Amino acid sequence: MSAYLEFRKITKRFPGVLALDDVSFTVERGTCHALIGENGAGKSTLGKILAGVYTADSGQIMLEGRAIAPTSPLAARALGVAMVHQELAFCPNLSVAENLCLGDFPGRAGFVDRTALRARARTMLATVGADIDPDTLIGTLSTGREQLVQIAAAVGTGAQIIVMDEPTSSLSAAETADLFRLIRTLKARGLTLIYVSHRMEELFALCDHITVLRDGRHIATEPIPATQPARVVTQMIGRELRVHTPSHLTRDLGPVRLKVKNLSSPGSFQDINLTVRAGEIVGVAGIVGAGRSELVQAIFGLDPAVSGHISIDDHPLPLGSIAHALAAGLGLVPEDRKRQGLILGLNCRENTALAALPLLTRLGFVRRNAERALASRYAQRLRVKTPSLEALTAGLSGGNQQKIALAKWLARDCDVLLIDEPTRGVDVGAKAEIYQLLDELACEGKALLVVSSELPELIGLCRRILVLRAGRIAGEVSRAAFSEATLMQLMAGVNAAA
Amino acid sequence: MLARLRVFFRFQESGLLLVILALGVLLTVFAGKVRTPVFERAADGTRSRVFTTDATGERIPLTIEKNKFLNAQNLAQLAKDTSFIAVMAVGMAVVIIAGGIDLTVGAIYALASVVGALVLQRYGAEGLATTTSPMLGILLGAGACLGVACLCGLFTGGLIVALGVHPFIITLGGMAIFRGIAFVITKGQSVGAFPAAFRDFVRFEVGDGLSFVPLMTMLVVLIVGWIFLSRLAAGRRVYAVGGNELAARFSGIRVERVKLGVYLISGLCAGIAALLSLGYYGAATSGDGQGYELNVIAAAVVGGASLSGGRGSALGVVLGALIIQMISSGIVILGIDQNYSQIIIGSVVIAAVVLDHLNTWLARRRLTAATH
Repeated sequence: MSAYLEFRKITKRFPGVLALDDVSFTVERGTCHALIGENGAGKSTLGKILAGVYTADSGQIMLEGRAIAPTSPLAARALGVAMVHQELAFCPNLSVAENLCLGDFPGRAGFVDRTALRARARTMLATVGADIDPDTLIGTLSTGREQLVQIAAAVGTGAQIIVMDEPTSSLSAAETADLFRLIRTLKARGLTLIYVSHRMEELFALCDHITVLRDGRHIATEPIPATQPARVVTQMIGRELRVHTPSHLTRDLGPVRLKVKNLSSPGSFQDINLTVRAGEIVGVAGIVGAGRSELVQAIFGLDPAVSGHISIDDHPLPLGSIAHALAAGLGLVPEDRKRQGLILGLNCRENTALAALPLLTRLGFVRRNAERALASRYAQRLRVKTPSLEALTAGLSGGNQQKIALAKWLARDCDVLLIDEPTRGVDVGAKAEIYQLLDELACEGKALLVVSSELPELIGLCRRILVLRAGRIAGEVSRAAFSEATLMQLMAGVNAAA
Repeated sequence: MLARLRVFFRFQESGLLLVILALGVLLTVFAGKVRTPVFERAADGTRSRVFTTDATGERIPLTIEKNKFLNAQNLAQLAKDTSFIAVMAVGMAVVIIAGGIDLTVGAIYALASVVGALVLQRYGAEGLATTTSPMLGILLGAGACLGVACLCGLFTGGLIVALGVHPFIITLGGMAIFRGIAFVITKGQSVGAFPAAFRDFVRFEVGDGLSFVPLMTMLVVLIVGWIFLSRLAAGRRVYAVGGNELAARFSGIRVERVKLGVYLISGLCAGIAALLSLGYYGAATSGDGQGYELNVIAAAVVGGASLSGGRGSALGVVLGALIIQMISSGIVILGIDQNYSQIIIGSVVIAAVVLDHLNTWLARRRLTAATH
């Protein structure tokens, strides 16, 4: 008997990247099949080929023994394959019902039958147990609920295979639990799920099989019970990963570099007090919406409504001014590198030099040799993998883009670095390199304030962790007391007994 | 040889040069011949026709046959016409690279022209201030012309920054306001009679009727624009803002200042073109430069400036201006009805965008094919 779904020698090229190289494996019906790999390993590309977003350069996809070659998401839908995207799957200005029926409005003579529209949407939402008013605008839904609507759209249109691309990357813990329950229900109904992620614990909790990709090549497909996380990590990165204690922890701290007193911003956070000393890495934890990104952006001068006091090296910093923040030696590596961190249409050299531009300028002219030297120095130090410094950052993998976003502020030689999600969407190998870099920076005497939603990351990296809850500091945990349980309790506002 | 060809094709503007060459060849082949009178230049610089006597002893003017397109006079005319558009197109390129659009250039051109003309008229032969030196008048007139243009640019740029509205809306309104002001202050009348020295300077010709000053002005604007965009930190900021405004802000770039600056530059370029026109035509009306925004945006787009921002070059848009002008004058030379010119130029803009997409797609494919 032939397999339910089979990938045969799939190859796909993008400019500068061989995304998939001769990938073959099979997926069983009614299972949840994990696709894992570092960023740039090709896992999302493979999912998108199945869902018709991309077409393979060569190779075949066999569904129940028949070769299929969806050339568009619509064609894939007709074959029973749907994809749940990370973002921008819907029109945010239309209602849930309108989005659900976007391809096929019920109505007569061009007029939309609104009652039928709502009824159909309600039926579709009910199949995934979603309690969402069909008249809500998509744009006002949380990411988790929007994802539910996407799944409803997929199931409601008769999808047999659903591809999920990093579905939990911006979900809260409760939303993630709901999603997992739904996935198990769908599986019980005989649907097949392709689950693309790099969160190991999720895959082991949820999936039946795991396929590991590395540099576009198929490394292994194994049943989950037959493997362990450590084995998968080794398969992903092709070598053993060493866990090491950051060396900045053993050094003496310098004077206070960043001091924040009674910092408040209406609607975002209130009464924040914190200090970061030279050579120290301080973590900021909290659930989505606790005000973490808002806090670091306000310190950097991006929030005009902020009040309170900030001082750098004991000099007061005028609030709400990026120019003053820059002059005082502050730098911010933002949360979303594609939207806030990089100019994708400029090349690696230009992006690296962007924040340091005033230091590279003589009489208004960019000193081209100095710029090139600076860019290549940091590209080497951060081990950026790019064909050349003149290559556009749009063509780099997520990990390398993040390195450029970091290099931009290192090139400016900031003393106080605010880093929001240092490794979001970055593969395991690049993660380790970024942790080592942050350690080196602390050893050099820089003060680092690191925001992250990955607790193991903060626990591994920081000397102290501040926990934000609903815009206030709920507590501070020192290294000796670090544990995920302690931090979680502070983040959620429940005590250990509850 | 092949290697040299490859270097040429890697050069960003090579496609535009090829289009210009092809247009030139086409126009030369299809233009046909024209008989033009022969002139001779006397020692004192005046030109007079050359006559010959035929068999019956009658004096007839001597004429020679020339290609309608490929002759010195026509090329000189083409160079002059291109200069006006190209100067404005460089300013437009800066705005477009920063992710904006400026529809006011034609109106700024008209307003700056009439304000400059009113000042120059006071110092002209029939003006009120004939007793003062004409040099002072010319400087004041030029200053007024450029100053008004810069103010207009600051006005639109300031509104765009302050209100945070899409530049299309603000410059659409600005376009009507500036032209309206020009109409009101001139009451729709033509303003002329400038100091003779000014006209003589701008109309100074070398060779067979080649206007030296507009051409040189265009070259200077091109070089300054090229240096600004590719070598100055300020130019880099323009690309950054156009490429990703939010990331530019997060990098400490003062986005508002950059935006204000690009509209100021565009206004100034329209002012420079207006000043040239004052000298060249010796008069100005509020109706001058009608529809120039189409030609100027067309030149920028044909020259490779991306309307989504972050991409384009000064040389590209100047070559784009040359292409637009070759098409305009080609319509005259080939004897096509003038009324078709807008249709043709509009089509060329759309064709340029299609070609640009095709080119991006091809480049992507080349990069992909080269991947192992």
